[in-house]
Amino acid sequence: MTEPKHYFAPTSLDQAVECLKDGDVTILAGGTDLTPQSQSGKLRIKQTLMNIRRVPELTGITLEGDEIRIGALTTITEIMENALVKQHFPVLVEACDHFASDQIRNVATLGGNICNASPAGDTLIPLLVLDASVELASMPEATLYRHSMPLSTFFVGPGKTRRSLCELVTGVRIRVPGPNHIAHFHKLGTRPALDISTISIGIAGTLKEGILSNVRVAFGAVAPTPVRASQTEKALEGQRLDAVTIGKVAGIARDEVKPIDDVRATAWYRKEMIHNITKRMLSHVAQA
Amino acid sequence: MSVAEKKPRVIEPDSLIGKRIPKMDAPEKASGRTRYIHDINLSGQLYGRILRSARIHALIKSIDTSAARALPGVHVVITAADIPDQRPIGVARDHFPLKVGRVRSQRDEIAAVAAESEEIAEAALKLIRVVYEDLPVISDPEEAIKPGAALIHPEPHGADGTHLHLKQGTSIAHKGKPDNIAMTFDYVHGDVIQGEAESDVVIEDTFRLHYVTHCCMGVSGMIAEFDASGNLLMYSNTQVPFLHKREFAEYLNMDPARIRIIQPPIGGGFGSKLDIYPFEVICLYLARAAKRPVKMLFTREEEFLASPTRQPVLLTLRSGCKKDGTLTFRQVHTLHDNGAYTSWGATTPFVMMQTFSSLYRVPHCDYHTAAVYTNNPYAGSFRGYGNLQATFAIEQHMDMLAERIGMDSLAFRLKNAQDSGETTGQGMVFKSCGFKDCINTAAQRSDYTRKFKENEVNRSRPGNIRRGIGMASMLHVGGGAKIYPSDGCGTILKMDDFANVTLITGASEIGQGSETVLSQLVCEELGLPISAITVVNNDTAITPWDVGVHASRTTFIAGNSAIGAAKKAKTKILAVAAKKYECAESDLDLRGGFVIKASSGEVVVELSKLLRNLHFQDKAELVMTTFYYEPPSVHQDKGFKGDVSAAYAWGAQVVEVEVDTDTGRVRMTKVTGAHDVGRVLNRLGIEGQIEGGVVMGQGYALTEELLIENGVMKNPNFRDYKLVTAPEIPEMDISFIESMDGEGPQGAKGVGEAPAICVAAATANAICNATGVRMFELPFTPEKVYRALHGQTPKLYWKPWRADQ
Ligand SMILES: Cc1cc2nc3c(=O)[nH]c(=O)nc-3n(C[C@H](O)[C@H](O)[C@H](O)COP(=O)(O)OP(=O)(O)OC[C@H]3O[C@@H](n4cnc5c(N)ncnc54)[C@H](O)[C@@H]3O)c2cc1C
Repeated sequence: MTEPKHYFAPTSLDQAVECLKDGDVTILAGGTDLTPQSQSGKLRIKQTLMNIRRVPELTGITLEGDEIRIGALTTITEIMENALVKQHFPVLVEACDHFASDQIRNVATLGGNICNASPAGDTLIPLLVLDASVELASMPEATLYRHSMPLSTFFVGPGKTRRSLCELVTGVRIRVPGPNHIAHFHKLGTRPALDISTISIGIAGTLKEGILSNVRVAFGAVAPTPVRASQTEKALEGQRLDAVTIGKVAGIARDEVKPIDDVRATAWYRKEMIHNITKRMLSHVAQA
Repeated sequence: MSVAEKKPRVIEPDSLIGKRIPKMDAPEKASGRTRYIHDINLSGQLYGRILRSARIHALIKSIDTSAARALPGVHVVITAADIPDQRPIGVARDHFPLKVGRVRSQRDEIAAVAAESEEIAEAALKLIRVVYEDLPVISDPEEAIKPGAALIHPEPHGADGTHLHLKQGTSIAHKGKPDNIAMTFDYVHGDVIQGEAESDVVIEDTFRLHYVTHCCMGVSGMIAEFDASGNLLMYSNTQVPFLHKREFAEYLNMDPARIRIIQPPIGGGFGSKLDIYPFEVICLYLARAAKRPVKMLFTREEEFLASPTRQPVLLTLRSGCKKDGTLTFRQVHTLHDNGAYTSWGATTPFVMMQTFSSLYRVPHCDYHTAAVYTNNPYAGSFRGYGNLQATFAIEQHMDMLAERIGMDSLAFRLKNAQDSGETTGQGMVFKSCGFKDCINTAAQRSDYTRKFKENEVNRSRPGNIRRGIGMASMLHVGGGAKIYPSDGCGTILKMDDFANVTLITGASEIGQGSETVLSQLVCEELGLPISAITVVNNDTAITPWDVGVHASRTTFIAGNSAIGAAKKAKTKILAVAAKKYECAESDLDLRGGFVIKASSGEVVVELSKLLRNLHFQDKAELVMTTFYYEPPSVHQDKGFKGDVSAAYAWGAQVVEVEVDTDTGRVRMTKVTGAHDVGRVLNRLGIEGQIEGGVVMGQGYALTEELLIENGVMKNPNFRDYKLVTAPEIPEMDISFIESMDGEGPQGAKGVGEAPAICVAAATANAICNATGVRMFELPFTPEKVYRALHGQTPKLYWKPWRADQ
């Protein structure tokens, strides 16, 4: 493990983004990615290690107008137990329920999952199909600057995002869905707990009189980033979920993804699973 | 004080045998107080680290350690060049602790550092420069065995290219090998040609068994210290302290009498600590050179990379039977991937051939193994010792043969299962044998026959979940195994003035619960509560000799030894009491901490009082006894025949699964096991042993696999090496068949390895019952199963390696 020169634990957002100004800073949240990655040499800890866990502005789950804001430091356990999330985004709870183990969930944060930008990151798929946006903060001059961007444009590659080195992710915002909204998540791994996704799928939309619209489909672990599946979405948009449509859409989904072989599975198997699980999920939607 | 009329006190009979007794070390372990080797630190201690090869197969052209030596805080840096007296180590003495001139696998040790902190040692390793010249990597044993294959241990040639022809008796590490064959085993009984001629059905299949590793929670480690007189003290996790003491002495060229091994509590063994590994000898070199204690601990990644694995095997089995269900013959060829060096994995045929020759009645059996060198990791001993691999093949063939002759698979097994009193073709004598009881019990309790038929019918139903049920049985040594000149164990027992017992046993505790069982056996003899005993079992300077923890032998061998010592103590105590109270010894007994009248249970005298009398008033004598137990087993002859164990353990397990045909995921829902354990001694302990073994077998069957590609381990971490986790553990229904072995301690037989053996085989049968698809290759990961269900798995076929077959 590389050793940082300085350790800093800011107690306000201003202090935190101020510290980021010089760029040579590694941000520590729950540390569940950072620790194994620095141990294995995959990641080098920079000059300053900044522990952001004492920054109050990064915590909390709040309803703000028609949006819910989830602070970056919110742990997976907190998300699962939160009444607002349970009420409006059961799909996020579902994903958290398949996330790591209790011990990891108690420390792993949502911001960490987003910034780690793993193609298999489990909260990313439901967030994508919920049209979440990422809030960022920085201090280019003397004052705090905040902006946000859609999560669907945030990821660039494995471990790579559009966040600049002097920015901090402060939270995500998700619009409270309207009536008839449906959203589902499925994670496939070798074992039911403590596993990295072989593939994962999120499907959301508005289901009215058997017709699916505003369709969002996202796939995990089949590309360098978690991805929205535009062709699959297009094929589903405005459709009635009968057996023929479902079969056709599942085929399009399989052809749309370009996964790789790795220690967890071959590309062939991943494509098969995208097909079979998409089909299974859509059938469940149709039956419900 | 008023003198009330005293009714004589009566102690009711009671027994510790079969009770649920918590393991004696449980409170310490559960509360995090146990001091493992990781927690032990000696003053002045340095930290050792090893530089491993950056290549898989290469010549070492040069090593530059100057920058590492110059790093402040570094005390010693060594390479092979610094240890001119290196001796070859390992089961075949085919490698040096620090590699000389050539690396042959990813784990290979090139240099080592002892420094004031782990961080400094680690930093020093990074400063060592090694220049390699790559050699072709041989990672496929089928390639390695071909004539003309590149050699892993080539014979040395002089500078002018001439063959040096080192003299006979020199080790492989020095003189090399003209081919890649590390070991061969050939066994035969009967005549398979005749057996085949008598068969109505003959089937032949190839099976592939994969790499898995022990995954001990406590990573490997050692602390070594030489005192001012040159005596060596080792804190070691070994499972075989007495044999290793000798072996270390050989490697260090020193007198074994000057070596003392202390074994701190071990965080998991399972066979992994049965051999001496390079890191241990290197740690000794470092301590010798530094003249300071040196502690060396593996990282988790190192534990994966540099620990032994279970023996991977490619196996072709041909077997036959008659229409009436009588087995006729088994013919077996196996190819063992030996890895770069030879450890115990290469010798698993000792156990495998027992299973092939003697699990069920087999009139004709022909068995061959070749273990071949490759550039892969090397396999060691691992709970079951080849038996999981052998059983995987045999028990699938049992189902397949039954199906071919249209016989119920349960009836087929029962028809060929042995009874007590039988002697097998290999000369194993089944004194106690609950084999049929095991099969019947497991089948009945799981409703095997009904479910088996129902599942077959349900295969054609719609839906993606298929249920399956499968059975497998096993035979394993249960009364030691006579491999070494002695398979015995010694005990020293001493009693103090308060009737407390110290049991000093040669048997090592590796988490299996031996301390508790041995204490029970002793207390049972002496009529004492379990709280009256202290066990000393971890210091070669104190404990009497034992051959080591392996072969499921400790309860049986050390148990009989402990009982022997306790009986001697009891005889002495009763003799003293009989004299003092003027009665016959046979009128007395020990119970509840008292000497009592055997007939009525009436108290004669408190035991502690009697012992104090003996010590301080009568004769100035103490009660201290010793006993050495040698089981009545025999060594095998040159053809591997003989009654090698004093008793044999049996078991049958039924596994139930749900297969998701959309994903290939197999969920193990229930395991029903019936084990002939002779007798249950500690019910809590034996339940834990079985449950743990089943889970280990489950991991072998479903999730665990060390992925090796061209000699490179792809998943040396717990993220990608998938152990079974709690939610996956199936419901278990375990029955014990108590066959009361005549030689066993209180009738018990060994059971340490047994529970892991059947699971993979029974799972294969269950998947086939669920889906109609047979799988010949482990592990049954979702992708493998999915491929098989979709006809995407080419049929395995390995043609035996021998030209003459
Ligand atoms: C045993 C184990 C199992 C796991 N299982 C899963 C699983 O099932 N599913 C899954 O998705 N993940 C899993 N993970 C990965 C990990 O737990 C998650 O990605 C987690 O959400 C990371 O959060 P953290 O707070 O621990 O992040 P950290 O490790 O603290 O940080 C992760 C990265 O994000 C950066 N970062 C963190 N917060 C911010 C911020 N607010 N602004 C800018 N940058 C930031 C850090 O600098 C670092 O690069 C597992 C990890 C382990 C060790």
